[in-house]
Amino acid sequence: MASTEDPPGRTTGAPLQGRSRLGDRLFAGWTGAIALGLIVLLAGLLVVLSAGGWRVFRAFGPGFFVGTDWNPVGGRESFGALPFIFGTLVTSAIAVVLAGPIAVGLALLLNEVRGWIRNPLASFVDLLAAIPSVVYGLWGLFVLKPLFDRTIEPALQATLGKVPVLGAVFRGNVNGPDLFTAGVILAVMILPIVTAVSREVVAVVPRDLREAALAVGATRYEAIRMAVLPYARSGIVGATMLGLGRALGETIAVSMVVGNVPKIGTSVFEAGATIPSWIASSFREATSVGLHRSALLALAVVLVMLAFVLAVASRLLVRRTERLLAGRTVERPATSVVAL
Amino acid sequence: MIAETSRPVFRVAGRRRVKDRAFTVFLWACAIMAMIPLAFITFYVVSRGYRALSVSFFTKVPAGPLDPQAGGIAQAFIGSGLIVGLAALFSIPLGISTAVYLAEYGRGRFAGAVRLVAEVLLSTPSIVAGAFIWAVVVIAMKRFSALAGALSLTVLMWPVIARATEEVLRLVPQELREAALALGVPRWKVIVRVVVPTAGAGIVTAVMLAVARGLGETAPILLTALGNDFINTNPLQPTDAVPLRVYAYARTPVEALHSFAWGGALMLLVTVLVLSIGARALSSRQQKRIA
Amino acid sequence: MRHGKALAFVAAVAALTVVGTACSSNSGNGGNGGNGGGGGSSSGFQGVALTGAGATFPDPIYEQWFHDFQGVESGAQINYQAIGSGGGIEQFTAQTVDFGASDAPLQDDETAALPGAAVEVPTVLGGVVIAYNVSGLKTGLKLDGATAAGIFLGDITNWHDPAIAAQNPGVTLPDGPIAVVHRSDESGTTFVFTSWLASQSSDWQSKVGADKAVQWPTGTGGDGNDGVAAGIAQTEGAVGYLSYDFAVTSHLGISSIAREDGAYVAPSLDSISAAGAILSFPIGPDTNILNSSAPGAYPIASTTYLLIYADQPDQDKGQTIVDFTYWALNDGQAIASQLNYAPLPEDIRTKALDALTQIQYRGATIQPSPAVAG
Repeated sequence: MASTEDPPGRTTGAPLQGRSRLGDRLFAGWTGAIALGLIVLLAGLLVVLSAGGWRVFRAFGPGFFVGTDWNPVGGRESFGALPFIFGTLVTSAIAVVLAGPIAVGLALLLNEVRGWIRNPLASFVDLLAAIPSVVYGLWGLFVLKPLFDRTIEPALQATLGKVPVLGAVFRGNVNGPDLFTAGVILAVMILPIVTAVSREVVAVVPRDLREAALAVGATRYEAIRMAVLPYARSGIVGATMLGLGRALGETIAVSMVVGNVPKIGTSVFEAGATIPSWIASSFREATSVGLHRSALLALAVVLVMLAFVLAVASRLLVRRTERLLAGRTVERPATSVVAL
Repeated sequence: MIAETSRPVFRVAGRRRVKDRAFTVFLWACAIMAMIPLAFITFYVVSRGYRALSVSFFTKVPAGPLDPQAGGIAQAFIGSGLIVGLAALFSIPLGISTAVYLAEYGRGRFAGAVRLVAEVLLSTPSIVAGAFIWAVVVIAMKRFSALAGALSLTVLMWPVIARATEEVLRLVPQELREAALALGVPRWKVIVRVVVPTAGAGIVTAVMLAVARGLGETAPILLTALGNDFINTNPLQPTDAVPLRVYAYARTPVEALHSFAWGGALMLLVTVLVLSIGARALSSRQQKRIA
Repeated sequence: MRHGKALAFVAAVAALTVVGTACSSNSGNGGNGGNGGGGGSSSGFQGVALTGAGATFPDPIYEQWFHDFQGVESGAQINYQAIGSGGGIEQFTAQTVDFGASDAPLQDDETAALPGAAVEVPTVLGGVVIAYNVSGLKTGLKLDGATAAGIFLGDITNWHDPAIAAQNPGVTLPDGPIAVVHRSDESGTTFVFTSWLASQSSDWQSKVGADKAVQWPTGTGGDGNDGVAAGIAQTEGAVGYLSYDFAVTSHLGISSIAREDGAYVAPSLDSISAAGAILSFPIGPDTNILNSSAPGAYPIASTTYLLIYADQPDQDKGQTIVDFTYWALNDGQAIASQLNYAPLPEDIRTKALDALTQIQYRGATIQPSPAVAG
């Protein structure tokens, strides 16, 4: 994690000759200009997308965010983002609920374990992050979905479906693409990043606190509960939010198993659509003659806004934990690029 | 194997011990649950994909639907190489330059803003990058092209390379810089000739990871490169890519093409895993060098 | 990686050079197709590379045609991507592709948005089929337009509804709920089906209308023909609509549809082909072959069109398009039935060939080259 402290390259050296100074200036200017280019890129992206979506925003106003229609028929056009916001939130929530505890457990395990098993285990989790989205989608479509339809979903329906209030969420026909399968695949896809960031957060917690607890007779579980988790808590929340942000944006894998039906259902076993999956499936066919394409670009803007808010919030939380505990002797794991 | 720095001297009461044991079981269960999908996916992709691999799979272009097995997806492999190659050519200099700026000169609000922007771009959904490049490049050029596809991947790869490289540059010991400066070497030369080469393996790691990501991306190329049934080496023409083929063949009614989808997925998986494992190996070797 | 940074910059410059060279060599022929005239074992025009995009419905037959056409003109690498009728019109209008393909004729606002006049050439016929999965019910259930509209509107909700029973005497209809499955993505198939429903039910016309994607009053959605077929197959009591070539291989029950003269016709290559007889030229926004009065015609039949600019900017590309379309309207028709598409009736085929003559380069009609015209 980069901090905002002085960059290591910035030192005062002996005064330089004129020409080298010019070289330095040019070089600094050149790299600075490219860095600026990154900002220009993001700004351009937001401007272009907003310009594209502007017609729809103007036509429907804030109603776009809560509208439930998606009617591209000429003369009856009506677009609303709510079904997709709903689908996005539901699948991401499933992903976080499933992946969160496992990631934290893994992070704690990797922090406790020594010896030969540590690196291979960490590597395996990181490999999950390397698998392309379309491979997840293919596997989800041909392997996971039939398996779920035949075994897991009916089992869930028979058990959790009977619970009084919560059970309503598990009703309905389990066959076919649904939000649940999409949520599970998302859970697998975000597991690596939540684990990696949680690992870093947990590692920053000073060991002496833990060891003090052990010294007075706490079990390992108690030591972790008392001396590690409280300090790492906000960082872990940040890690989870980072995973949530990733889940929001996953496109192809979700598109292949969620069904792409724009509706707000009551059961996780119903098909639905997330913002990115819907954009992916509709974009190439949407025409600009009406408002259809503009509506899709407006959806993209909503997505970027959501991702932006989550990215900022999560980083703030993670940094807060690190800053709180900075300055103590810590043992940081190898910087996992997966965390990026 | 789990290190304990001090053993409890007294026996632990029953309930506490049960909780502790249960917790340990939970931790290991998490590990197993994380391993299952990886094993699961690898097994299926390999078992269903290897059957599709044949010489014609790699060397022929798609045949008509009446005899799909006679063809292959050669154009997708070449197209992926073209698109990702171009994207790498664009994003490597851009990413390294940005990283150099952030690591060597960056201080204050501007650098903070650049870092924040990189974070946002990193978590930007790839479909959004595709929509952006479509609106700007495809419309302006009046055509779909490998170049547009490469540009959409650059939007995604640039921040990855920038952030990863910045981390690696920061790890280069301060003493190296100061020693070179003390010898009178101009600042920019210190960076180019000393800092960057020292971080060399780490930068290669960053590039390998970015390339692995670019190879697997489907959504942005869907909207910018369109796809092609023929081999294309012209960056200004529509081009195919392996993820596009996997996506299309997974949804086609022609059953025989499903195995091609698995074959393409297998090749993607193998390539991406090799790159990731290689990157990890390089990075741990690099860390030992610097430490 | 001693001079890694320098290498990277050199590589970037090299890339720009490559792109620049490709730019300049690209003017004229598009990409790596053969040049008109040279190359290839037989003499004469060999075709150049083209890009087209559009309807998914004819994708299989077009793929086969493009593949086979390369045997006629070896340089004609025609890259067709099935992104949907709407997308085809969109890209055709933006001129990002050389030709488009659509299951629906151009509407007035779409024509107005075009940069130049376009020729719509029908190539092959297909149909939309109502498919169902009801245990005990064999294929051939009779349905008329009013009943179909009632089912898809959600007014008729049970299989043993009197409206269905009245048309199917002697058939035991189960007492079970009807589960409607429709398309959730844009498609020409939806356009054809909803157009037919609108023609059969004023209720449908006012409540839903006809388009490539509509807001369905009831039912679950499937992504693509395969999504709908899977949705129907997985649900007992399900009914949905599919394109004919898809339904034929799906093992679902297929309805016979009532014609306007009261007779029930099952979809088949013959009944679909017969429907094509009423196709009227020139092609206009409301052109369709629904409810065809021709004898034995299946009511829910449709054409699919190639969209080609009348004024071709590039001579070689224009020649290739004309040659291909000419070949498709002649030799190509025989292949159509192998993939479950119905060939154009003879007089319609002739009129389509006539429409080809509108395609010009610099004011002169592009004639099909000897390789195809024989």
